[in-house]
Amino acid sequence: MQNALQIVYLIPLLPLIGFLINGLGRKHLSKSVISVIGSGVVLASFAISIWVFLQVKGGNTHEAHYFDFISVGDLKIPFAFKIDQLSSLFLLIITGVGFLIHVYSTSYMHEEKTEHFGRYFSYLNLFIFSMLLLVMGANFVIMFIGWEGVGLCSYLLIGYWFKKTEYNKAANKAFIMNRIGDLAFLIAIFWLIQKLGTVTYSEVFTAANLAKLSTTDISVITLLLFVGATGKSAQIPLYTWLPDAMAGPTPVSALIHAATMVTAGIYMIARSNLLYSLAPLTMDIVAYVGLATALFAATIALKQNDIKKVLAYSTVSQLGFMFLALGCGAYTAAVFHVMTHAFFKALMFLGSGSVIHAMGGEQDIRNMGGLSKKLKITFITFLVGCIAIAGIPPFSGFFSKDAILLSAFAKNPVLYGIALFTALLTAFYMFRLLFITFTGKFRGTHEQEHHLHESPAPMTIPLIILAVLSIIGGFVGIPEVFMHGGDKLGEFLSPVITNHGEGHVSHSTEYILMGLSTGLVLIMIIFAWFKFKNYQRTEESGLGKVLENKWYVDELYDKVIVNPLHKFGGFLNSIFENKVVDGIVNGVGRAVSYSSRQFRLLQSGQVGNYILLMVGSIVLIFVLQFFLKR
Amino acid sequence: MNALIISALLGVVMMFSSFLLKDRSTVRSMAIAGLLLLLVVNVLEMNGVEFFNINTRDMIVFDRFALLFNTIAFLSTLLYLLLSAKEMAKVGVYFADYLALIFFILCGVILVSSFKSLLILFLGIEIISIPLYILTGSDKRNLKSNEAALKYFLLGTFSTGLMLMGIALIYGAQGSFYSVDISKIAGETPSALLIAGMLLLFFSMSFKVSAAPFHFWTPDVYDGAPTVFTSFMATIVKAAVFVAFIRLFDEAFGLLHLQWQLLVAVITALTLFIGNITAVFQQSVKRMLAYSSIAQAGFMMLSLYAMNADAKEGLMLYVAAYSFATIGIFAVLIKMSDYTFEGFNGFAKHQPLLAATTTIFLLSLAGIPLTAGFLSKFYMLKAALGTGKHLWLVIVAVLMAAVSVYYYFRVIQAMYFKEGEGQPMEVSKPFKWTLVVLAALIILLGIFPNILLSWLYF
Repeated sequence: MQNALQIVYLIPLLPLIGFLINGLGRKHLSKSVISVIGSGVVLASFAISIWVFLQVKGGNTHEAHYFDFISVGDLKIPFAFKIDQLSSLFLLIITGVGFLIHVYSTSYMHEEKTEHFGRYFSYLNLFIFSMLLLVMGANFVIMFIGWEGVGLCSYLLIGYWFKKTEYNKAANKAFIMNRIGDLAFLIAIFWLIQKLGTVTYSEVFTAANLAKLSTTDISVITLLLFVGATGKSAQIPLYTWLPDAMAGPTPVSALIHAATMVTAGIYMIARSNLLYSLAPLTMDIVAYVGLATALFAATIALKQNDIKKVLAYSTVSQLGFMFLALGCGAYTAAVFHVMTHAFFKALMFLGSGSVIHAMGGEQDIRNMGGLSKKLKITFITFLVGCIAIAGIPPFSGFFSKDAILLSAFAKNPVLYGIALFTALLTAFYMFRLLFITFTGKFRGTHEQEHHLHESPAPMTIPLIILAVLSIIGGFVGIPEVFMHGGDKLGEFLSPVITNHGEGHVSHSTEYILMGLSTGLVLIMIIFAWFKFKNYQRTEESGLGKVLENKWYVDELYDKVIVNPLHKFGGFLNSIFENKVVDGIVNGVGRAVSYSSRQFRLLQSGQVGNYILLMVGSIVLIFVLQFFLKR
Repeated sequence: MNALIISALLGVVMMFSSFLLKDRSTVRSMAIAGLLLLLVVNVLEMNGVEFFNINTRDMIVFDRFALLFNTIAFLSTLLYLLLSAKEMAKVGVYFADYLALIFFILCGVILVSSFKSLLILFLGIEIISIPLYILTGSDKRNLKSNEAALKYFLLGTFSTGLMLMGIALIYGAQGSFYSVDISKIAGETPSALLIAGMLLLFFSMSFKVSAAPFHFWTPDVYDGAPTVFTSFMATIVKAAVFVAFIRLFDEAFGLLHLQWQLLVAVITALTLFIGNITAVFQQSVKRMLAYSSIAQAGFMMLSLYAMNADAKEGLMLYVAAYSFATIGIFAVLIKMSDYTFEGFNGFAKHQPLLAATTTIFLLSLAGIPLTAGFLSKFYMLKAALGTGKHLWLVIVAVLMAAVSVYYYFRVIQAMYFKEGEGQPMEVSKPFKWTLVVLAALIILLGIFPNILLSWLYF
C-alpha cells in the first residue's frame, strides 16, 4: 500500500495555487477575496503539516517520489519530497508562523491598492511555496530550486514598493549577495554529482558513499555549502543585505528576514550534519564565523535608531548564535534556536509593525517614547519577546540559548565567554529598544501623538499567539539537569541528527553557567532601564558613532569591491570590448561571410553540375575507402 | 500495423473525396479527423492494441522506436494540417489530392521507420519520394515550382539508382535482404562487395537527408516548392528518412561501425559547415530555412556517428524539437507575402503573439536553453562525446551551433528591433492557439524531455 504521506505534495501545491490565483486575478479580485485565498491556502498547508508532523511523530517517515526531474545518462535527479523529523518540524514553523503573518498582513497592507494588494499576497504565497520546496526536497537540487525561489521572492518583496529607487537598490543588493552564496552552493552540488553521481540525501549520507569522499572533497563541499549558507543566512561577509532588506513591508521582514528564509542556511547544514561531522576544519570555521557575526552584529545593534534595523541586526546576531551551535556540533540546539527565534523574532517584527502603523510610518525610535500607554497589547507582547530573546527562564529563548552556550562551553570556554558577552549585549540592546520606544515621554509630533492607537484585531491576535508561543515554546527542550527526559526535541530529532563532539559538562557546572548567564542578563536589563527609561536624544561620538554607522562596512564594500568593479567594467567597455572583442568578432564575421559567398557559387542551379559534384565526391570517397585505408 | 493500413485507406478515401465532395472545409475536416484517428490507433498500438495481424515475414516490425517516431510524425502532421491546410487550397485546385498524397507519404514514413528488410526500405523511400515530386510541382503556373519538381525528380532518380545498386551489391555479398542477415559477418573481414554496397546506400540516404556533398538539391527544391509543402518535406519526411538511416546503419551495418564512423564524421562536419555558413548569407528567410535544415541535418548526423543509446534517445528528441519548431516557423512564413528578412521588420508590433511564438521556435532551433532544441543538441553532443573519439567533430558542431545563432537571431532582431510597415495578413484564432500549443510543447519538452523519452523504454 502506498504510504499515506505520499500526499504531502499538497503542502507546497496549495500556496502555489494561491500564488496563481492571486497573481493572475489581482486586478479582478476584491481585497477580502485575496486575503481569504492568500491566508486560506497557507492555513490548509498548516493543517496538513500538523497531520504530517503527527504521522512522523508516530514513526512514519517517508520519501515521496513523484517523477524523475532530470535524467541524463546515469544521473537521475528525482522530484521527491523527504518527510522526516527535521523537515516536518520546519514545515510546522514555516506554515504556522507564515499563516499568522498572512493574517497580520491582511490588516497591515490594507491601505494598498487592490492590484498591489494582490501582488503582495501572490508573492507571499510564492515565497511560502519556495520555502516549502526548500525544506521538503529530498535532494540538493530541489533544495536549490527552493533556495533560488526564496531568493527571488525576497527580491520581489524587498522591492515591493518599487517606485522608490532606494528600495530597488536594497532589493538588488539582497539578490546579488545571495547570488554569490548561491554560486558556491551550486558548485558544491556539481562537486557532489561529480564524485558520487547523486544528490539525494538518502544516497549521499550513507556510510558507503561518505567513505568514497576524500578529506579534501568533504572539506571543500562543506565549505562551499557554508558559503552558500552565509549568503542566505546573512553571515560575515555576506550579511549587509539583511538590514537593508528592511525596505520591504514589515510583515515581509518578519516572515522572510526573521522567521523563515534566513534559517535556510541552518537547515541546509543541519540536513548535511553527517557530512559536516566529518569535516572538523569546516566546523571550526562555521563556529568562528558564527560567533564573530553574532558579536559584530550585536555591537552594531547597540546604537541603531531605526526600530527595524535594531531587529535586523539582532536577527543577524541570533543567526550567528545558530551557526556557532552548528559549528560546535550541537545541531539540535541550532534547530531549537531556529524554532524559538522564529516565534519571538516574528513577534517583535510584527510588534514593530504595529508600532510603525500607529506612528504613521515613523521608524525612528528617537521620535517615539511612552507608547506603552496607548499600545498596551503591543507593549506587553513586545516585552515578552524581549524577555525571550534575552534568555530569562522560563521563556523559550532561555532554553535554546542555554543549549548553545553549553555546547560552546564544551568546545572551548573562550568561545563561551565571547558568546555570553554577546548574549549580554543582546539583552542590553533589546531592552534599550523597548525602553526608548515604550517608556518615558512621547517625543514625536503632536499630530502623531493624536493619531496613536492600538492596531486592529487581525494584527494583535497573531501577536498574542506568538507571545504565548514565545513563552512556552522552550518547554520542548528542557535540559537534562532540570528534568530527566525533558529534551523532547532532541529525542524527536535524534533519528536524523547525530550531534557531534558534545562534550559532557557536569551538572554542577551547568547550574553555575545558567545562573551566571541569567544573573548577568538581569543586571544588563536593569542597567538598560536606568539608562534609557527617560531617554533624551544626544549626538553620538567616538565608538558610538562608528557603531551607529555599522562599523562602516557598507562604505568599505563600496570602496573595495563595488567602485573598482564599476571602474573595471568601464575599462572593459571602452578598451577591451571595443578593440579586442569587437576585432575578433568582426574578423570572424567577415571570414564567415566571405566563405558564405564562395559556397553560394557552388549552388549554381544546374542539375548537371550537381550530379558532377556528387559523382566526384562518391569517387573520392570510394578511392579513400578502398585504396588509401588499407 | 494499425497506422499503416489506416493511413493507406485514408489516402484512398481522400482521393475519392476530391470528386465526390465539393466543399473544401469538409475535406479539410476529414483529413484532420483522419490524422487524429491515426494518432489514436498508433498510441493504442503502443499500448498493445493491434487491430490487424498480417504476416509480413518479419519484413516490418513495429518496435518501440518505430511506434514512438510514428506518434511524433502523426502529431507533427496533425499540427501541420491544423496550421496550414487552408494554405494548401491556395496552391492549386486539387486540394483533396494533395491531402491524399500526404497520407500516402505517411505510409512511406511508417514503412521506412519500421523496416527490417532492404526491400521495404526501398519501397518506403519511393512511396515517400514520388508524391513529393508531385507536390513540389503542384503550383503548375509557377515556373520555379516546375523547375524545382523536375530537378528534384532528376536528382532523386539518380539517388534511387544508387540505392538500388547498393541493395543489389549487398544481396550479392550476403544473399539476403534482411538486416539481420546482412549484419552477419561472423568475424571475417567484410567483403569489398558488402562495403561498396553499404557506401552506395550511405550516399543515397545522405542524399535524402540532404547531407553534404549530396545536399545541392535541397535549397533549390525547398525554395521552389510551394511553401506549405516545403514545410512538410523539411520536417516529417526528413525526420523519417533519418530514422530509416539510423535503423539501417544500426541493424544492418552496426558491426561495421569502425568502417564507416570516420566517413560519417567527415560528412557530418562538412554538412554542418556548409549548411551553417551558407545560411548566414541568405537574404530570404525561406532559403535561410532551407540551409538551416541542412545544418540541422548535420546535427542529426551526429546520432548516426555516435550510434549509442544516447544517440537514439537524442534523435527522437531532436526530431520532435526540430519538426515542431520548423512547422511553426513555416506556418507563420506562409502567411507573409514578403519572404525576405526585411519582411519581418516590425513584426512584433503588428502581430505580437505570432512574433513571440516564432521567437520560441527560433530559439529552439538555435539551441537556447529551456527549449527542446537545447536539450536535443545537448543529447547529440553528449552522444558524440560518449564515443570517446574525434573530439574535433564535437568542437566543429559547437562552433557551428554558435554560427547558427546569428542567422536565427537576425529574424528575431528584425521582428523586435526594427521598424517596419508590417504585412497585412489574416490570422484566425485557432491558428494562433495551435501556434501557442506548439510553442508550449517545445518548452515542455525542453524542461521535461522524459515525457517523450520514457516511452522508448516501457
